[in-house]
Amino acid sequence: MTPLLEASARTRLRTPRRYVPALLVTPAATFLMVFFIVPLSMVAVLTLFDYQPLTRSVSFVGLRNWHRILTSPELRQATVNTLLYAVMTVPVIVGVSLLAALGIHALPRWGALWRTVYFLPTIATMAAMSVVWRWLFYPGAGPVDATIGRLTGATDWLHSTTLALPAIAVIGSWAGIGSSMVMFLAGLTSVPQHLHEAGRLDGAGPWHRFWHITWPALGPSTMFALIIATRDALRVFDQVHVMTDGGPLGSTETLADLQWRYGVSYLDIGSGSIVNTVLLGLVVVTVAAQYLAGGRRLERAGAR
Amino acid sequence: MNKTNRRVLGVHLAVAAGGVIMLGPFVLMLAGAFLAGNPLGGELSPRITLDHFRDAWAALDWPRVYGTSLLVTGGIFIAQVATSLPIAYALARWEFRGRRPTFKVVLVCLVIPPQVTAIPIYFLMSGLGLLDSYSALILPSVGSGFCIYLFRQFILAIPPSMFDAARLDGVGPVAMLWRVVFPHVRPALVAAGVFSVVSHWNDLYWPSVMLTTDHVATVPYAVAGVSGPDSTVPLSVQLAVAALAALPLLVCFVLVQRHLVRGLVLTADGE
Repeated sequence: MTPLLEASARTRLRTPRRYVPALLVTPAATFLMVFFIVPLSMVAVLTLFDYQPLTRSVSFVGLRNWHRILTSPELRQATVNTLLYAVMTVPVIVGVSLLAALGIHALPRWGALWRTVYFLPTIATMAAMSVVWRWLFYPGAGPVDATIGRLTGATDWLHSTTLALPAIAVIGSWAGIGSSMVMFLAGLTSVPQHLHEAGRLDGAGPWHRFWHITWPALGPSTMFALIIATRDALRVFDQVHVMTDGGPLGSTETLADLQWRYGVSYLDIGSGSIVNTVLLGLVVVTVAAQYLAGGRRLERAGAR
Repeated sequence: MNKTNRRVLGVHLAVAAGGVIMLGPFVLMLAGAFLAGNPLGGELSPRITLDHFRDAWAALDWPRVYGTSLLVTGGIFIAQVATSLPIAYALARWEFRGRRPTFKVVLVCLVIPPQVTAIPIYFLMSGLGLLDSYSALILPSVGSGFCIYLFRQFILAIPPSMFDAARLDGVGPVAMLWRVVFPHVRPALVAAGVFSVVSHWNDLYWPSVMLTTDHVATVPYAVAGVSGPDSTVPLSVQLAVAALAALPLLVCFVLVQRHLVRGLVLTADGE
């Protein structure tokens, strides 16, 4: 079907009436402009201002906010925690969801059942499921302490400065596998079956066929899953907010949670915006790196 | 044949083992919520009770919370479709000045998380007196890079002959939108709907920024209020609250899940 797609891209029409594309683009463009482009360009500017919630007055303070925040350890700690969380979750999410998708795709029956099962954690409200996870990690009586804790001595994860972040990462991985698995499953249905048949006739083993046929065809899905998983890891908020509230001793404080605390809880808009700027920089750098390394497959996905 | 069977069995077992981990928390949630006794300290008794659900139902104004979440997620998705389909159609079918930059902006919106724009939008909403309102929860999420990208990929895969045939029938360039595009993108609507509704129904961040009272509390916001880390509500009741919060969406998903992969299929690679 690839030639068809090329054809459809090539026969993109030149409209005789200029207002037609404008008419089609304007509604979405307006929303993206007001709620995305303008706020995005304001983020860095807001870091230079101080806002007094009581008098609702705004004053220019220059780099004073930056000086204050950069000399406090909180921002550095939140940045490190956010990166650690991404390092712990993204490979697990992408790897496990790829394996799950390959396994489910290979099943002659019951594929739909398992697909549903793996996707359920993604749909389940994290704010609600965190109640269950807090029980799982409950000191002493919780199932994790009763099993893993008894075997390894690692107990009371959520109140440990070293184990709380891994616990948050376990929960995030559990919840994140479903959506990338669906993207891989979608990609797998477009793997050319005749190549697999040909490969089998030529005596290529399963590993060989995966590496030369399936994996290249999964390129766009992999890029998409990787970028979305990374973005979601860098903005992690829900389970931190309801499980540990950043503690103990800030060991699970992430950028999104710190930004919320500064900007919304303390109404310190300047400091919140600095955290915001760091988060934005992190997202831009990592996604750009992945995008460049991935050979710009995301953009070409539809036009190949 | 025997070897193939053994391999299929192995895959079944591996997938099932992972599935048990994925399902585990749900089983525990239902067990703790339905069984009598205190789940902490292994005191669960095999007697089934609805007491926890009765208390959980009393802990929140559920009809109102469900209603708010329904209105917010439904409003966001309908507005997303109404704005995303036209621009996706324009990006896929028409050559116009600024098409490439526009698509670049869409890709950027796809990857930038909403957290990054939260503080400026908080300022904007506060200035307009719109904090604690449906507008603050709905409007900022309407422009969706994900929906636009998904729909564009899908529209690219519609055979050009469809458009040609419609044009010969006298269908104008804009009318093409509901005469040709809309009937063809239904699977993508399901896929976009699942991802949009799931992410907005479950989102705790945006309500935490935009709401200061329980006036328009969504499900996650209300649940976080009764079951935070310092909650004094008994665990069994918290688990019942969690079940009441999570189950409606789970049931809805099981009903539409058949269409989900098909909706993404044509988009991820085009077939």
